[in-house]
Order: sequence, then structure tokens, then C-alpha cells
Amino acid sequence: MNDQWIELNIGPQHPSMHGVLRLKAKLDGEIIRELEPVIGYLHRNAEKLCEMGFYCDNLVYFDRMDYVGAMNMEVGYLEAAEKILNVPPPDRAKWIRVIIAELSRIAAHLVWAGAYGLDLGMLTPFFYCFAEREKILTIFTEACGSRQETNYMSIGGVYQDFNDKIIQEIKDFLETFPKRLEEIYNLYVKNDVFLSRTKGIGILSKEVAISYGVTGPMLRASGVEYDIRRAEPYLFYDKVNFEIPISHKGDNLARFLVRFEEMRQSLRIIKQGLEKLPEGPYFNPKAKKSMMIRLRGDGEYYARTESSKGEFGVYIVADGGVKPYRVRVRSPTFKNLSILPVLSKDVMLADMIAISGSIDLVFGEIDR
Amino acid sequence: MNILHWIYGVLSFLGHDIGYALAYIIESIILLIFVSVMLIFMIYLFRKYMARVQQRIGPNRVGKFGSLQLIADALKLMGKEIIFPKERDDLPYKVAPYIVFFGLILAFAFLPYGNLSIFGNLTITYSDVSIIFIFAILAIMPIGEVLAGVGSHNKYALMGALRSVAKDVSFEVPMMLSVLAIVMMASARTSTSLSLESIVTTEILPYGILEPIGLFVFFIAMIARASYAPFDMGESDSELVSGYSTEYTGMRFALFYIGLFGSIFLGSLLIALLYIGGFNGPFSSQVGFIWLIVKGLILVLISFTIWLSMPRIRIDRLVNAGWKYLLPISFINLVLAGVLTLGLGW
Repeated sequence: MNDQWIELNIGPQHPSMHGVLRLKAKLDGEIIRELEPVIGYLHRNAEKLCEMGFYCDNLVYFDRMDYVGAMNMEVGYLEAAEKILNVPPPDRAKWIRVIIAELSRIAAHLVWAGAYGLDLGMLTPFFYCFAEREKILTIFTEACGSRQETNYMSIGGVYQDFNDKIIQEIKDFLETFPKRLEEIYNLYVKNDVFLSRTKGIGILSKEVAISYGVTGPMLRASGVEYDIRRAEPYLFYDKVNFEIPISHKGDNLARFLVRFEEMRQSLRIIKQGLEKLPEGPYFNPKAKKSMMIRLRGDGEYYARTESSKGEFGVYIVADGGVKPYRVRVRSPTFKNLSILPVLSKDVMLADMIAISGSIDLVFGEIDR
Repeated sequence: MNILHWIYGVLSFLGHDIGYALAYIIESIILLIFVSVMLIFMIYLFRKYMARVQQRIGPNRVGKFGSLQLIADALKLMGKEIIFPKERDDLPYKVAPYIVFFGLILAFAFLPYGNLSIFGNLTITYSDVSIIFIFAILAIMPIGEVLAGVGSHNKYALMGALRSVAKDVSFEVPMMLSVLAIVMMASARTSTSLSLESIVTTEILPYGILEPIGLFVFFIAMIARASYAPFDMGESDSELVSGYSTEYTGMRFALFYIGLFGSIFLGSLLIALLYIGGFNGPFSSQVGFIWLIVKGLILVLISFTIWLSMPRIRIDRLVNAGWKYLLPISFINLVLAGVLTLGLGW
């Protein structure tokens, strides 16, 4: 610690800390010399609470983890829980989950895209992104009556079948969204000031990314082609065509471009999902309403899925009871956040904000 | 004939001394009202324009089309509890907003506003060296920002103030140099070339056409002085919370906020006067004032568009832009102006 350095507490109440991150920074003028993230301000004991609820009840805690893309969290939990309980969902429910999860991924990336503009001091794209996200949330409302903490999926299927109206809404969205996405994209990448803030800033090399356990768009922006949807397909991701966008630059701009390309790929997946959506039951009869709380499971299972932030793992240990013995979550954002002190060593304060924004932090998931 | 004499003409039955004293007071009140109304209108315009750009509706609840929203906001800010930081430096903390705000209002007093039908010339204070006055007064505003930053006893505020000063210093020089070019060119035609009024009235072509480089430099420097995106260093709201105004609440905060819009308006009026002909235009002897305001507001809308579509530039790049690019460009501009004046006799 140098005498000349200023110790600055950034957060937990700070406009660009995306919730409640606290950073203990040591500044040499405008340059950050040391940085220590402090987390835990949004800790709600979700893992412990899961031990006290029935398997079907625990879904609500997962909704509240990555609250901007809740459907992907539900998929992650159900992948594990359904294996433990041995109630596989029917095909229609699986396809519905694929469609909804990808919509949710787009919604999560849109929040990120808007908030990243705010981090850099750009007001307008935020509203463009949220106007588009609103359309997705309308689809969610139609499907399950809730916007953000959806609680849509349940053990053995989904809560409600897709009706014609929802399918029409999704088709409308698929038609209008690509154009709007390009508009938002151009608003960013055709702006020289934006490029000067992102190009070559916060470069994350392949080796460092792997050694810190970074996953998701951040890892792919560093040049590693690793996506659980392709590496270890769950649901029906092995039956749809999509590309995994990667970039070898590893800087803020690469992460930005990878996320935008992911949204375009998600649109492709949704389109194929709608085409392949079969008729049939949307619910496993073994998990009918009154039966649901009587489901018993044994053994242990670790399911990993690709959430909008990265590899989301759920580990469940069951002891034969109606409640799980232990639930443990591998949070992708927690691992991704651990890279922040490395990336923001000896960079300017403004760049640190740009880097922390590019990580896509959601605190519900880090603190759980 | 300006507005002071016009008021004095009405009050002349009171005698010379009392008449002029009263006329000065009334004139100051008129100026304050004019500036306040314009600024309130500008904030309303900004919010509506921002809403249009961002595909929202904007204020629409209070009054017709939300036109009374600003009054409601002002009442809310006045009614707010004023929170003082415990370890503040009392005097600087308290006077800083007033320095920023009144420094700004004062600058409006030296602008030439042109003619408006029966009122004649609306210029408040006529001075042969009004350019020097205006830029001297503009140099007071950063002092207010520094006082706010130091007096708040807050690291964010301090860093905001430092950034703000770094920005102001690096853009002051190019701005003055580009004004100097105009003064040089005007000096060929008028003996009082430091007066904004005579610069505008004696111009043959708007100076923006004669020296577009100067317009470019001045516009960028004015954005930096007014402190909005991409140069909103003083606030830097995603990094430094709210910069030097972090610790302010209530009306003192409002003074900073109004000061921001005031700087935009003042900058736009200055660009309109210096570079695009000010109050000159068809029927300018009758409606010159309208021309000035229309040109000013168009520039304000351009500023808003820049503000809303730009991220913040990093402070080191900003200072580089001031010293490494704008300063040499403004020197070239100065030389070009000399060539135009002496060589071609413009």
C-alpha cells in the first residue's frame, strides 16, 4: 500500500454495480492498483432453503437466482431433480422448455446489452433493449401469468401448454426482433467512442480464463469453443442446428459481439423449436398435481446446463425422502466475477467499470 | 437604444438617479425571468426529446403534455430535506452551487439579443469587450465545481471535481483560440471587435462558413464546457456516482442541474452568435431576437442528440483530444483566419 493511493469503496450502493457488488479499490490517481470484490449482500440462503422444501417447491428459489433469465435456472434445476425423481418430461414439454429457455436467454442478454450502455454512459440503448425484452416478458405472461420470477416449468413438464396465441406471439417476435436487434447492435458498434472504450480493454487470455473456471460468453470470447448445449446436450439441443459464436480477441468488444451473436443463434433455435414442436402431453402423469409432493428420489446427480451467463451446475443429493438432502449450485457468474481483480489491475477506473459490465453480473446468482 | 433605456423612458418622471436605479433592478429581474423560463423550457424540451429518442412518452401527467412537470419537480426539490455531510467544509460546500448558477446567469447579461419589434434592442448590458467578459465569467464556473468537490469531503466528489477541472482546462485554450480567430477577422471591419454585438452586425458571411474548422473546435469545446456526454466528466454517473454533485440534495442539487442546461443554452447561443449569424436573418431589425432563439434551440437539439447517443469518453483520451488534436487544429484555424483577413481582405 502506497501512501499516495486512495482507498475507494465502490458499492454496494453504486449505479454501475449491478445490484450489490462492493469493490474495495486502491487507486493511484485514476488507475486501479488493487481491487477486491466483496460479495454476500444478497445472500438469501437458497441452497439451505432447498433442503426444507419439497422437490417441486424448490423451483422458486432458482427463479430468484439469475432473475433476468429465470427460465434457464429452472431448466438447470429440473435437469437434476427429474433425474433424481425419475420423472422424465414428455417430448412436447422438452421442446417448450427449449423455446422458453432460449427466449429467456435473449431476455437476459438484452438486459446486459442495455445495462452495458449505461455503464459506459450511454442512455438510449437501454430503453431500446427493454422495449424488446418487454415483448418476451409478454410471452412469458401469456404462458404462465408472471413476468420475471416465472415458475413456469415444474417437475415432469411445464405448468401450462402452449396455446395458439403464445405460438403466434413468438412468431411475431421472431419476425420483428432481428431488425430491432440490428438497430441496437449498430447503435453500439458504429459509435467510435464505444469502440474506443471496448476495443483492446480488459483482454482475457485463453489460459487465464480456463484456469479461473470462466464459462459462458466470456470464455467463448477468449477463443474456447465450449458450450454445454453442444458439449453435453440436454433437452433437445442435439436436435437443433446452431453455431457457437467464438472470438479470439478476449476483450470487451469480443464479449459484446459474442453475446449479440448468441442472441441471433437463439432466434434460430426458437424457430426450429417451433417447427419441431410435437403434439402430445405436456406433463408426465407421474407428477400430477397431488402426486408431486409425494415424489421420492434417491442417489445423487449433478446436472449442468448453459445459462445465459455460463455453465450453471446443480448438484442434488437425495436420501430417499420427499425433500432433497443437499442442494449445491455452481454459479457461473461467481466464477466469472473472480476474474475481475485480474483484469482490472493497473487499468483506469472507467475501464474497470467497462470490464465489470462486460462480465454480466447478476447478484441473485452469485450470492444465492 | 436598448432595453435599459426603454425602461428608463417609462420611468423618466422619477428623475435621473432613481429612474436609472429602478431601471437596472427591473432589467436584472427581466433577465432572471427570461433565463429561468428558457431553462425550464429547455429541461422540459430535453425530457420530451429524450423520450422521443428513446421511444418513450416522457412527462405527461402534470398539466397539458406534462408542461407543468418541471414546476412540480421544483416544488418537490424545495420540499426535500436538506442533508449535509457531517464532515463537510461548510462554506465551500454551501456556496459552490450558487457560484456555478449565478456565474452562468451573469454570462447571459452580456449576450446581444437583437431586436424585437417595439422593444428595440434587447441587449441587457452593452459592453465593448463583451467577449472577454463572457469568457471570464465562464471561467468562474469550474471554481464552483472544485469547491463542491472539495467541500463535500467525499472521494467521488473530489475525483469528479478533478476530472471536471482537467476537462475544463484542456478545452479552454482551443475554445479561446477559435474565438480569437473571429475577433481577428472582425477587426478588419470594426474597431470594437471584442464586442459580440459588433462582430455579429458587421459580418458579411456567417463566420461558420468562413472558418468551419473554428466552428468544429468551438462546438467540441463547448460540449466539454457544458459537460454532457461524451464529455460528462464532472458527473460520470456510472463511475463516480454523480461526481461533484454527489453529496447535494434539494435546491442546491437543482442549481447544479439547471447549471448544466444553462451551459448548453449559453453555448448554443454563443455558437449561434459567433458562427451562424446570430440575430441576422430576414427582417432582423424587427425579429432578430426570434432568429437568435430559433438558431440557439436548433443547436440545443443537436447537442441533445449528441448527448443521448454517445457513451462517455475516458478521461485520458479526453485530455489528449484537447491538447493533442484540438489545440493544433485551432492554431491552424488561427493562421487561416489571418490569411483570410490580411491576404484576401475578408
